[in-house]
Amino acid sequence: MDINWHSFFFMAFAIFACGFALAVVISSNIVHMAFYLVLSLGATAGLFFLAGADFVGSMQLLIYVGGTLVLLIFGVMLTAQSPFISMKTKGGEWILAAIVGGSLLAILLQATLNIKEWQAGEKPLPDRAPVTASRLGMGLLGARVDELDKPAAARAGMSGYLLPFEIVSVHLLVVLIGAAYLARPKKRIVPRGFEQESQS
Amino acid sequence: MSAAEQLPVLLGTAWLLPLASFVLIVFFGPRMGKHGIYAGYVATAAILLGCVLSLYGLFGVWISENGVYDLAAEHQEHAEEHDEPDEGDEARATRGQVIRAQQPDAAEAEDDLPPDSKRFHFDTSEHEGKSGTVKAFTGDWYTLGKFGSLQVTIGYYIDSLTVLMFCMVTFIATCIHFYAIGYMHDELHDITDHEVTLSDGHHLHRHGRFPRFFQYLSLFCFSMLGLVIAGNIAMVFVFWELVGICSYFLIGFYIERKSASNAANKAFIVNRIGDFGMIIGLMALFGSLGTFSFGNWFDDQGAEHPGIFSQVRPGEQEYPYRLRTPDGMVKAAAAGEIAKGVEPTKEQVDIWRRDFSKPNGYGRQAYWLLIVAGLGIFCGCVGKSAQFPLHVWLPDAMEGPTPVSALVHSATMVAAGVYLVGRFYPVFTPEVLLVIAIVGCITLFLAATIAITAVDIKRVLAYSTVSQLGYMMLALGVGGWVAGMFHLVTHAFFKSLLFMCSGSVIHATHTNDMTKMGGLLKKMPWTGYTMLAGCLAIIGAGVPFSIGLSGHYSKDAILAQALWFQIKNPLYGWPFFLVASGGAALTAFYMFRLWFMTFVGQPRDHHVYEHAHESPRIMYLPLVVLAGFAIFVGGSLPFGGDYQGLAVQGLLEQARPDGTVAESNGRLIPTLHYPSEKDPKVHRDVHKQAELVAFGTALAGLLLAAAIYGLQLINPNEVRNYFRPIYQFLVRKWYFDELYQALFVEPTLFVSRRVAEFDKKVIDRFIDALARWARIVALLDDVIDRYIVDGFVNWFAQWTYSAGLQMRRLQTGNLRQYIVFIVVGTVGLFVLMSFYAFANATH
Amino acid sequence: MNVLAQPVGVSHFLIVGAIMFVTGAVCMATKRNALGVLMGIELVLNGANVNFVAFGSELLNPDGIGLDGQLIALFVIVLAAAEAAVALAIALNFYNNHSTIDVDRADELKG
Repeated sequence: MDINWHSFFFMAFAIFACGFALAVVISSNIVHMAFYLVLSLGATAGLFFLAGADFVGSMQLLIYVGGTLVLLIFGVMLTAQSPFISMKTKGGEWILAAIVGGSLLAILLQATLNIKEWQAGEKPLPDRAPVTASRLGMGLLGARVDELDKPAAARAGMSGYLLPFEIVSVHLLVVLIGAAYLARPKKRIVPRGFEQESQS
Repeated sequence: MSAAEQLPVLLGTAWLLPLASFVLIVFFGPRMGKHGIYAGYVATAAILLGCVLSLYGLFGVWISENGVYDLAAEHQEHAEEHDEPDEGDEARATRGQVIRAQQPDAAEAEDDLPPDSKRFHFDTSEHEGKSGTVKAFTGDWYTLGKFGSLQVTIGYYIDSLTVLMFCMVTFIATCIHFYAIGYMHDELHDITDHEVTLSDGHHLHRHGRFPRFFQYLSLFCFSMLGLVIAGNIAMVFVFWELVGICSYFLIGFYIERKSASNAANKAFIVNRIGDFGMIIGLMALFGSLGTFSFGNWFDDQGAEHPGIFSQVRPGEQEYPYRLRTPDGMVKAAAAGEIAKGVEPTKEQVDIWRRDFSKPNGYGRQAYWLLIVAGLGIFCGCVGKSAQFPLHVWLPDAMEGPTPVSALVHSATMVAAGVYLVGRFYPVFTPEVLLVIAIVGCITLFLAATIAITAVDIKRVLAYSTVSQLGYMMLALGVGGWVAGMFHLVTHAFFKSLLFMCSGSVIHATHTNDMTKMGGLLKKMPWTGYTMLAGCLAIIGAGVPFSIGLSGHYSKDAILAQALWFQIKNPLYGWPFFLVASGGAALTAFYMFRLWFMTFVGQPRDHHVYEHAHESPRIMYLPLVVLAGFAIFVGGSLPFGGDYQGLAVQGLLEQARPDGTVAESNGRLIPTLHYPSEKDPKVHRDVHKQAELVAFGTALAGLLLAAAIYGLQLINPNEVRNYFRPIYQFLVRKWYFDELYQALFVEPTLFVSRRVAEFDKKVIDRFIDALARWARIVALLDDVIDRYIVDGFVNWFAQWTYSAGLQMRRLQTGNLRQYIVFIVVGTVGLFVLMSFYAFANATH
Repeated sequence: MNVLAQPVGVSHFLIVGAIMFVTGAVCMATKRNALGVLMGIELVLNGANVNFVAFGSELLNPDGIGLDGQLIALFVIVLAAAEAAVALAIALNFYNNHSTIDVDRADELKG
């Protein structure tokens, strides 16, 4: 039995990711949804590792799972309605969503499976050591060590990702300030239609 | 200063004084004194001053320079039949008499003269006149414009006729101005005009118009004097029209009366018809002769150009003052040849002129042109002097106030036609003169017969005027130039006298109707006796072969010339003398009918008789003055030193146009012989015969009138019933008014009615239909606009709105639905891209 | 066992990415809880990240270091975090104003 462990683990992680994503959709309890999402995103991080993107996988676990989703759970707790009423969508809407989603999936899959370069086995994997972060960092700053064999003229237009990095940083700052302002405490008004049950 | 320099100034001033008075009264009339009475004084002063200037011009200037014409000596000379030319002027001057140069009479080579024509020698003694041997001064005061060779000027032509006419017109006008101040004093306060009825039934009440009357009178005097002094035919025409318009104003003085305004219109329109002929004559003259001027004129360089008279009667040796077809007309007739390049030298023109044999010979054509010119000018005179057939306006013109009738329609304006015939005499060929005589003859008979039935006192006098004008035309037409103009002068005096007397009667009795008058002699003696003088003058009363009133001499002259004409032309000369004699009888009859009916016998209307009174002195004094003139103006002045022997006939002889005393024959009508007026036989046998006939006819008429109206021996009503058809014919004025109504007025009205009908029925209907169609189209447009265009726009807006409403439903506010749409859009985009990729890619 | 023996290609990653994307879209479309919608957004972004990483990885370009894919995926993660913060703030605001977290109640923009 010759098991390609790469493929095995890929399958496992893939099944976890897709499965828990589906669970998010199907579940009607918001806390359950949050939990399933955490698991799904964790599996995705594993997929990243398998694709050789160690850095991003780490970042995914750190930022996404550890930060964003925690934030999400805070939000869940802050907006909890007593009791935890579950709001159900109607069946017709499920069908519509399924059709639309299904058609999109069909198109994507069709596109994916029809391009020869993307199929498996076309290019054998190189047998080498994993890429270190220092090389990524230098590439970030503009020294593209992955394209040393390109002539200098062709290399001239390629830049690093420093500027987007800065922009994103500032953007993040702005967003956080804005979010803090938006979410400041205000006088809570008498809700309208509070008594109304929202049935699905 | 010589006469040539003094006379234009004197007469020019006398001419312009009434114009100054007119301008003053126009601007200041109603403010002159109380109700404008000073306007009358201003006008009278102006014309009086003019009279003084004219009399000075006659006595002081003309006679002192030219002397008095010796009529008696001339009669004697002609009786002797001498051939020698006279001695120079100095020899005669020692006897206190000056004879002017003899009239030449040389026969043209190609004419057939009667074998017994006399030949007088041509005298080339000194003369100052610019045309021929007659003493005349011509000149221009002001040049209005120069168009190539044509000069249009304000100029004068002064000979003794001009001076005489000036004196006569201004003197009579002065008398009438004085008379009118009294006659028109009604106009000094507000008037209720009983002859005008307004639409609400009341009579018209208006302000007085005293100044306006004198304003018109002054303008009239200015126009008349301008006509007399005019030196060219264009100026004559201008003043001709001016006189016509003044007559219109004066006849229509009581403008609110329908009868007066109709009469004014009639006068002007009938005059205009005559003026149409006059314009044709003017054009014929100007087109061929190239000038308007009577006498010779000088251009800028001082060269002398011949005037109309010189061209028609040249003073050359070969044609001494005989009527000759002028060069201009011959060239006009031969224009075709000249255009082909034949040179119109003097000899060639003479050859053409003699080409009389063939019907289209150039000489004959040119002669016809001359006849046309003469007849054209005469047409104007027919209109102005109320000859047949344009006589219908003068009786209606009696609607004007009596001073107007006296001045305008008896003495001056109607005489302007006769004056123009006299002035233009040299241009008339014998054929034209025959036409003039015929017209005059018909007129005098026609008017005299109507006058015997008229009952309106002014109508009788109006028809009498027409008849006497016919006499003047007849006289001029049979060759009696001096006779005709003499009658003009005497007629002016006694006719204005008669009119003023009738005005005095009307003023006293407030009626024109003679059937309401009678026996007024006791109540109005001054008027009655002066009128008697006038009546005697008009019938030509006098003792044969010795003295008589003024009309006696003039009427004798006319009858003598007519008789001589008959003797010379036995074939067709007899109607003229016959009618003239019959007319004399009729004249006597109707004039004394008028006098007897008015002043003698039992009063027919007691109311009128009670209120009759003599006129104020300012009115009857001019009557006396004029009566004196009516009696004495025919004779010669028996005293006065240098002025002894001055007579109207003498003055006229001094003005006789060249060549008119000679005998002449017609060329188209070779049997037409015109006798000379100064032929010795006229003064011996013929004159005696004529005097006897005149006396007899006048006496017959007078006796008949006395029998019927004076002594009441015959009842006029019985006579009227006996001759009822003739009476009807005469009382209806020979049905001329009805004839003209049917011939001219009715067709015009018919045409105008048809045109009005056409306008109403066809054109108006068409326009109305167009308007209706426009309305229908407009309604249609409205429907289209409202329902289709607006409908479309509204539908579009509605559709947009409903589409918006529909699209609004997309905006559910449902977040999840939006997400679904996003995904659907993405799917659609992918599908499209895949199609695109499939189309392009090499898969 | 044949299945497990075959090597994994880019397409497998892409398939996973597609599935996660579609799942996220469906989650967004069907959840009435605002936070559920947020979770759907996270899933979508995650699916996109998988795609980015797959395309930048050595599976497609054996010589490269997979820099582009990773960095882009990193940026996406950062942006997702920012966006999650803002969305949460909005959701909290909404909850404070309306006392409910049901997005179906947020229909005041209904036309």
